[in-house]
Amino acid sequence: MAAPGGRRLLWTGRRWLSQAEPAVSPQPPDSFYPPIVASATAKSKAAKRRRLEHFKQRVHAAPSIEEKLRLYGLLQRPKYVVYPQTFALNADRWYRSFTKTVFVPGLPPRTASAAAKAPAATEVTAEAGTAPQPGAEAPAPARTAAAAAAAGAAPYLDVRELRALACDALLQESFYQHKRRPVLYRSQEHTPGPFLTQLVSSLAASLCGRNPLLAASSLDLKPEVNYYWHHGEEVVVHGHRKGRVDPVRFQIDDNPYLQIRVPKQLPEVVPLESDLGDVPVIDHKPSKLPLFKRQYENKVFIGSKVADPCCYGHTQFHLIPDKLKRERLVKANLEDQIEVVYRANGIASLFAWTAAQAMYQGFWSEADVTRPFVSQAVVTDGKYFAFFCYQLNTLALTVETIQNNPRKNICWGTESKPLYDVVEDGSVKGFNDEVLLQLVRFLLNRPKDL
Amino acid sequence: MLEGVRQAQWLTKTKLVEGLPPSVLGIIDNPAHRLEEHEERVKQAVSHARLWDTREPAPRREHYCPVLFEDLIHICRLMSMKYPSLTKRMLSRNYKIAATWERESILLQVRGLNGILMNSMAPIPPVASKEEILATEAHVLETFYPISPTIDLQEVNVYKELNNTGFRDGYPYSHPHTLFFLESANVRTNRFRPEQLRAKMLMFAFGNALAKAKVLYGNDPKVLEQPIVVQSVGTDGQLFQFMVFQLNTTDLVSSDGIKNLVWVDSDQNLYEKAQCVPEVKKRVVTKPTGIYGFQPDTFKKFLALYLHGTV
Repeated sequence: MAAPGGRRLLWTGRRWLSQAEPAVSPQPPDSFYPPIVASATAKSKAAKRRRLEHFKQRVHAAPSIEEKLRLYGLLQRPKYVVYPQTFALNADRWYRSFTKTVFVPGLPPRTASAAAKAPAATEVTAEAGTAPQPGAEAPAPARTAAAAAAAGAAPYLDVRELRALACDALLQESFYQHKRRPVLYRSQEHTPGPFLTQLVSSLAASLCGRNPLLAASSLDLKPEVNYYWHHGEEVVVHGHRKGRVDPVRFQIDDNPYLQIRVPKQLPEVVPLESDLGDVPVIDHKPSKLPLFKRQYENKVFIGSKVADPCCYGHTQFHLIPDKLKRERLVKANLEDQIEVVYRANGIASLFAWTAAQAMYQGFWSEADVTRPFVSQAVVTDGKYFAFFCYQLNTLALTVETIQNNPRKNICWGTESKPLYDVVEDGSVKGFNDEVLLQLVRFLLNRPKDL
Repeated sequence: MLEGVRQAQWLTKTKLVEGLPPSVLGIIDNPAHRLEEHEERVKQAVSHARLWDTREPAPRREHYCPVLFEDLIHICRLMSMKYPSLTKRMLSRNYKIAATWERESILLQVRGLNGILMNSMAPIPPVASKEEILATEAHVLETFYPISPTIDLQEVNVYKELNNTGFRDGYPYSHPHTLFFLESANVRTNRFRPEQLRAKMLMFAFGNALAKAKVLYGNDPKVLEQPIVVQSVGTDGQLFQFMVFQLNTTDLVSSDGIKNLVWVDSDQNLYEKAQCVPEVKKRVVTKPTGIYGFQPDTFKKFLALYLHGTV
């Protein structure tokens, strides 16, 4: 049995090893006796604490990230499997409480932060110049205005081109290409899926000139993203471990439709310790959601292994499956759950992705993140698009670490908006430029120094 | 196809030329394109596909072959930074082609899902000069008596002689540019051998070119004023086959006259070996994990075929 406190007992009884002992033993000279600590194998609370300490030290001292991940997920026990795309009612509230996330409607104001950084950058360059000029204040605002105008002018030139790209992709998939009828209950694979692949790949290719991060990015089709964590406590209900207090374990196994991974991290949106709202507290057991327990391998994966240089996430694209289509929810009298589906998907998938990225950098619940991890996601059903941005501020969600942890994770998200009204006779009617521009802004997001 | 490329040549009335055409070789040799910069990225793409993409230590061919293809196409698409006209391309998967022709009183057709097609708005300019085209008149097609040229072909009752490019009229990206074939079956017997893969590539490139020719110039068999060029790339994740096909004539009933041309560059390895698990002999690591024997020339040819027509 692989227990977290499993230790190999040392063999100290053999006589002929005593000659090697003086060179090996690290005992300080002033104590004749070994340190008095609790037993490691007894059935007592002190022993359990000692085993837990030993496990934490083992993970802290792991020589490589792969070894750390292996030790972190070594002990297998029944855990709740959290599905980002779920039919459960009000799942986004539950997911926010599992992941200690604050949901802020609307997207973070990026232009304000860019404008705030621009005068700071120009001031720094002015001071680092040859001589500090008293007139540095006057040119600085003029320079920022010019810079903002130039940056604003350049993308807006080819909105028509981007719109043409999007319309071409849409028309090819839905009108021009001869296709068979969609398979029953799999109409997402017929048109919206290929359209999304086409759209993202051509937009990324045309925008890579403006965003050097995209030029070094890696595009994954249908990758796997997994994350395993503990949050809260419960008493084991039945079985040979009945009555013991155990952490509540969760696992997310997600399959985004598309994913862009980059070698450099996205900049933080708000500082690490910001508090933008409240995390919902739910008094019920997670199984009431409904959420079911299974026991299998504890996986942590961002889409590729640790050795990949593109180890940070940029944007994920999710396709809503047929079971959770708008028409089905409307027919079942659940119109208010339409947005819940998008939000739950955004929150759960992005939490899993950012947390796995943080684990790939060596952070875990006992070694909390020292810088925020930011990723973006677009959840769509082919016509309606919802945009999400997630900032991971803390991984410390276990019972001991959450007590003194004021940090909360933050998720910004929009409502789902249609990209177009209808496609008929080889033309797209009612194309919504705002949605396309938001997608372009997402793809152009990059660190400040690039 | 038993006889491989020879059989495909007879069926499509084509003359084979070894090596890639001079226009493609010119793109490779042109120092202005700076194809060497991408070597690092291609190595990363190969490592990603072969080593890092799944949680298993060694991803299977069904998984790594499409991933490698997607990564290479992603790198090629990013070149549109330098050449804006590359954005006028569109990939289409799961499209169906239909082309019918007659060859010495045998009715042949090419139908169905073939591979991934890249369409472009502008056609590729003809690769062979007029003299070369006229010189093919003298070439005699290889026959392989006593084997019939239609061996291994499926006999089907056809009720409609279809010629369909797979797209409706008015499609803006109407010219087929390159066809990609991925041999990604896990079991070796389910995959095409390189010779047969080249034959398949030739047949489908011909089918696409013929369907396009019939749409542009009508159903009458004639020699084309503007030959149609379709490229194709086939791979099984490690070995690459490159092919450039030029359709000069739709007059295929007789075996004389002007023939079509195909340039083939076969069996190009992108890398020799991908070590997924380190080789350990007597508790010493002899071969660490990684990609061995990487050959950048293969990717240069891939990229040159991609850029062909716009550069």
